[in-house]
Amino acid sequence: MTALLEVDRINSYYGDSHILFDVSLTVAKNEVVALLGRNGAGKSTTLKSLMGTVRPRSGHVVLDGVQTQGLPPHAIAALGLQLVPEERRIFGSLNVEENLLLAGLTATSRWPLDRVWEIFPRLKERRRSRGTDLSGGEQQMLAIARALVRDPKIVLLDEPFEGLAPIIVRDLLATCRALAEAGQTILVVEQNISAAMSLADRVYIINNGHMVEELTAQAVRDQPDILHRHLGV
Amino acid sequence: MLRHRRFVVEALTALGLVAAPYVLPPLGFAPNTVNQIMVWGLFGIGFDILFGYTGMLSFGQAAFYGTGGFVAAYLLTNNLMSNVLLALVVGTLGAMLAGVVVGAIALRRTGIYFAMITVAIAEMFYFIEFSPLAAYTGGENGLPGVPTPKFELLGWSYRVGPDWSMYGFLAVCYFIGIVVALRIVRSPVGAIFSAIRDNPVRARAVGHAVGLYKLTAFVIAAAYAGFAGGLLGVLQGFMPPDAFTFDTSGQLVMQTAIGGAGTLFGPLVGATVWLFLRDFLQGAVGLGATWKLVLGVVFVLLVCFLRRGLIGGVRAALAHFTAPPPHEAPEEAEIDAAPAPLASLGPSRRRRETAFDGPVIEARGVTKTFGGIVANRDINFAVERGELRGIIGPNGAGKSTFFKMLTCELPPTSGRIIFHGRDITGLDVSTVCQLGLTKSYQVNQLFPRLTLRENIVIAALAERRGTFALDLFRRIDRVPGLDIQVDRTLALIGLAARADVPVAELAYGEKRRLEIGLALAASPSLLLLDEPLAGMSPRERAETVELLKNIRRGRTLVVVEHDMDAVFELAERITVLHEGALLAEGTPAEIQRNSLVQEAYLGGVAAA
Amino acid sequence: MITWPNFVSQLFNGLAAGALLALISSGLTIIYGTLGVLNLAHGAMFMLGGYAGYIALQATGSFVAAVIAGALALVVVGGIIELVIIRRFYDRPPEDQLLVTFGLGIVIVELVRFFFGSLSLTVRPPSWAAGVTPMGFLIYPTYRIVVAGIAAAALAVLYVVLYRTRLGMIVRAGIEDSTMVGMLGINVYRVFMVVFGIGAMAAGFAGIVNAPVVSLTPDMGESILVQAFVVVVIGGVGSFPGAILGGLIAGEILSLTSMVNPAYSQVMLFAVMTLVLLLRPQGLLGAQSRD
Repeated sequence: MTALLEVDRINSYYGDSHILFDVSLTVAKNEVVALLGRNGAGKSTTLKSLMGTVRPRSGHVVLDGVQTQGLPPHAIAALGLQLVPEERRIFGSLNVEENLLLAGLTATSRWPLDRVWEIFPRLKERRRSRGTDLSGGEQQMLAIARALVRDPKIVLLDEPFEGLAPIIVRDLLATCRALAEAGQTILVVEQNISAAMSLADRVYIINNGHMVEELTAQAVRDQPDILHRHLGV
Repeated sequence: MLRHRRFVVEALTALGLVAAPYVLPPLGFAPNTVNQIMVWGLFGIGFDILFGYTGMLSFGQAAFYGTGGFVAAYLLTNNLMSNVLLALVVGTLGAMLAGVVVGAIALRRTGIYFAMITVAIAEMFYFIEFSPLAAYTGGENGLPGVPTPKFELLGWSYRVGPDWSMYGFLAVCYFIGIVVALRIVRSPVGAIFSAIRDNPVRARAVGHAVGLYKLTAFVIAAAYAGFAGGLLGVLQGFMPPDAFTFDTSGQLVMQTAIGGAGTLFGPLVGATVWLFLRDFLQGAVGLGATWKLVLGVVFVLLVCFLRRGLIGGVRAALAHFTAPPPHEAPEEAEIDAAPAPLASLGPSRRRRETAFDGPVIEARGVTKTFGGIVANRDINFAVERGELRGIIGPNGAGKSTFFKMLTCELPPTSGRIIFHGRDITGLDVSTVCQLGLTKSYQVNQLFPRLTLRENIVIAALAERRGTFALDLFRRIDRVPGLDIQVDRTLALIGLAARADVPVAELAYGEKRRLEIGLALAASPSLLLLDEPLAGMSPRERAETVELLKNIRRGRTLVVVEHDMDAVFELAERITVLHEGALLAEGTPAEIQRNSLVQEAYLGGVAAA
Repeated sequence: MITWPNFVSQLFNGLAAGALLALISSGLTIIYGTLGVLNLAHGAMFMLGGYAGYIALQATGSFVAAVIAGALALVVVGGIIELVIIRRFYDRPPEDQLLVTFGLGIVIVELVRFFFGSLSLTVRPPSWAAGVTPMGFLIYPTYRIVVAGIAAAALAVLYVVLYRTRLGMIVRAGIEDSTMVGMLGINVYRVFMVVFGIGAMAAGFAGIVNAPVVSLTPDMGESILVQAFVVVVIGGVGSFPGAILGGLIAGEILSLTSMVNPAYSQVMLFAVMTLVLLLRPQGLLGAQSRD
């Protein structure tokens, strides 16, 4: 399988705090890849480095053949990458429809709203509600829908299941599985390991800013003590 | 801040002031222009202390300039006082009083809001001068007939005349003003001003009453402004209402920025440039009113490209030509494997030894809610003296919120924090620091424009002097016990060799150690460390772990960390938080065996 | 003298002044809300609009052309200033931003003084709006009614742009979270330039519209800046409805207190601002406070 996203030894910093040390990973088309690690390990920073909101100081990121490290976020978005941030960051003063419309403004190919409603019927019910009036689960749905509207080549999900009630996690997980089955390429960062494992084809583990493991999901299921060693206590 | 040869600046200033009447006229300066430069220069000294040193940009200094000037002029022109110097002093006191009142309002905000409040308040002063108090101030006419000073001594009397006679008087005033300002800037208060400019949050956290120091700077600026305003009246023989205008405040700001903020002499240089260009362009070249356009363009260019003004530019150029050859990337100084015998700073002499026998810190039923979200729920937590406690927990566990409540950065919604048996709930950060509880931050909170040693000095000053002391005229190296405190701290973090390096040039690992050093300099009995290993390479981690093992002697430490290996190596007991509540507590071995903890971290991986 | 006709007259004055202030302050608040920069050159831009309109009026004799010229000139000037100067200051401390916009304001004022001198220039209102209009017991200058109407219309246009167009949606989202807007593929710097241009245009438009009421001088924008900031504080930073509400309140305060004592009206305004800053720092309709 050809790699849609190739990350080659990137080093990222916050100020002069060195967060990522020669981090590399690949994501192939139609794959779901999970990036696991304790908090503080550098998972979010990895996704931000791919989206361009953090600029890697060295290393390369190649998206579908195009080098993206150093490009501003809007250029990387134009090349087909979308990040659903950990804090969701939906626009509270805009309603659901406006959030989706805004996302699609500069997209070369965009999803029709009907397709969004199909996948997130709850959002259709709330289409005129302002962002600030949505529940946590609805905000997460909107954040994901907003990314999908741009028909991205890859969607990066930063801890999408955090802070949600189990029943909502279950529904969201089903939606994500359906998207993956329909061919959407996904890179998901999660601390909820069971949720991540139920989605992923392949798993990377990051620890203290270093990539320490790369395994297929099945290999992880066969040797659960790997997770225990890097993520447990 | 600390290193300068004594009295060089004062001597050079005196020399310059004596030489000016001989050097400047051939360059095209009329005596009256030189006198105006003196008044603006003096006005600017106080403003520079406020803006250049303490970082507060006020666009309303005219309020105090005018107040001081009109109070003095009123006393003199209404024959309530005949001694000019005395009237000037009373005017200055009036301006300082106004400074206290205005400061109490304006200092509640910072940055842009602070600047605009000063504008608005200054405008209010102007309108008050113009209309309601016109009977006293002469309204739009001002107060004419301000006399010049007269000096009498044993039958000999001398009345200051115009031009160079006036210059003599003004030069003496300026000289005194500079000498006083230099004392202030070299005092502990002056050092704290710089710290506030660089990082007010950390200045507060190391134990200084930042609000009171800011007010001090504000009143100092008002004092200089008031005295200068009085001198303006004396110089012109009349007190003009435009002393109160926004233009006056704006001119002061521009002159200071052009000359160079944070130098004390910047306003003098800026005034020289301003008035010279005004005379030259208007008179000699005959360009009329365009001199202000030229100045405006020069000002914008300087703000864009020469951020430290003309003096800063000259300094940078000199440093460039006299700099030693650049050295390679700084090698980190090795931490002493065997620290100096004074490794333990011990409890401060100032703080009474508490005979309290119980836990050093306790949280009782602490809950924190933000709107509808419960970040921490009913946490009970206690750390014994001499322990090294680790706090861990998966993401969203509420660790940072809990930590902030321990340090009193955030008040709990309910519950109490007890420190050495004393309820500290709701106290502010600087008070708590003075009691012996300090924190080192996950993201470095340093004073970036100071050297490493100067950083430690800031923290040690609070330890030596308490939250607020008005020792404006003490030399900073005369603070009792300061050097010892600073040296001990430097030895403890192993950075004595790098003490005079500016923070910007330190390696990341060294900055992290300085970060811990700032918390140590306060002689805490309890030190909280927020992710001390954040952003570190494996080698730096190992070194920091060693450092923590050293500094724990004689202290109690609580560490929040994600690096499990480090936590398990360091901590005797570990507290695990999960989803806002306490999940488990015990020795590292107990925690590892605890299935609830594993479950929390691994999220039902068995089911996956 | 507080008589009934006097009172009503001042009430109208307050509305007219308030509507104009609201327009000017909307410009200031969307710039501050989106870019995070307080434009201390805003008063100068108000003045520049007046002079640009004057030039057009002298050239064409048409008041409409003058108004268009005033607005367009500032869109261009604003865009250029953002592109060339303001853009370099986003990473610099707020004090530096204040200094540079302050300096730009001075440069603009002095440039106008260089070309036009300090003496005041008159701009005559268009013939169809000259004279007075009797309104019951009151006789009111026609042009002032027109000013109120134009300002209200301009505010309505601004409202439509902000709340009913895609550009407005981007601006409102940008006020909230400009980084996220960038992540959705929109070039935020271009947005900033447009916002600065629109904000400048609002000031310049107000400047030429107001020109027949006062006489044009290079310094006429000085008091405008402080008043606009007061309105932004009262209404709330980044809030367009806040600027409108704040503008009307400020206009009425200025007008009505000037009946009692003209000197006190400015003082009253500043006192209200100080009160708001102390009691409700985010303003009446504001969301977050940036300080």
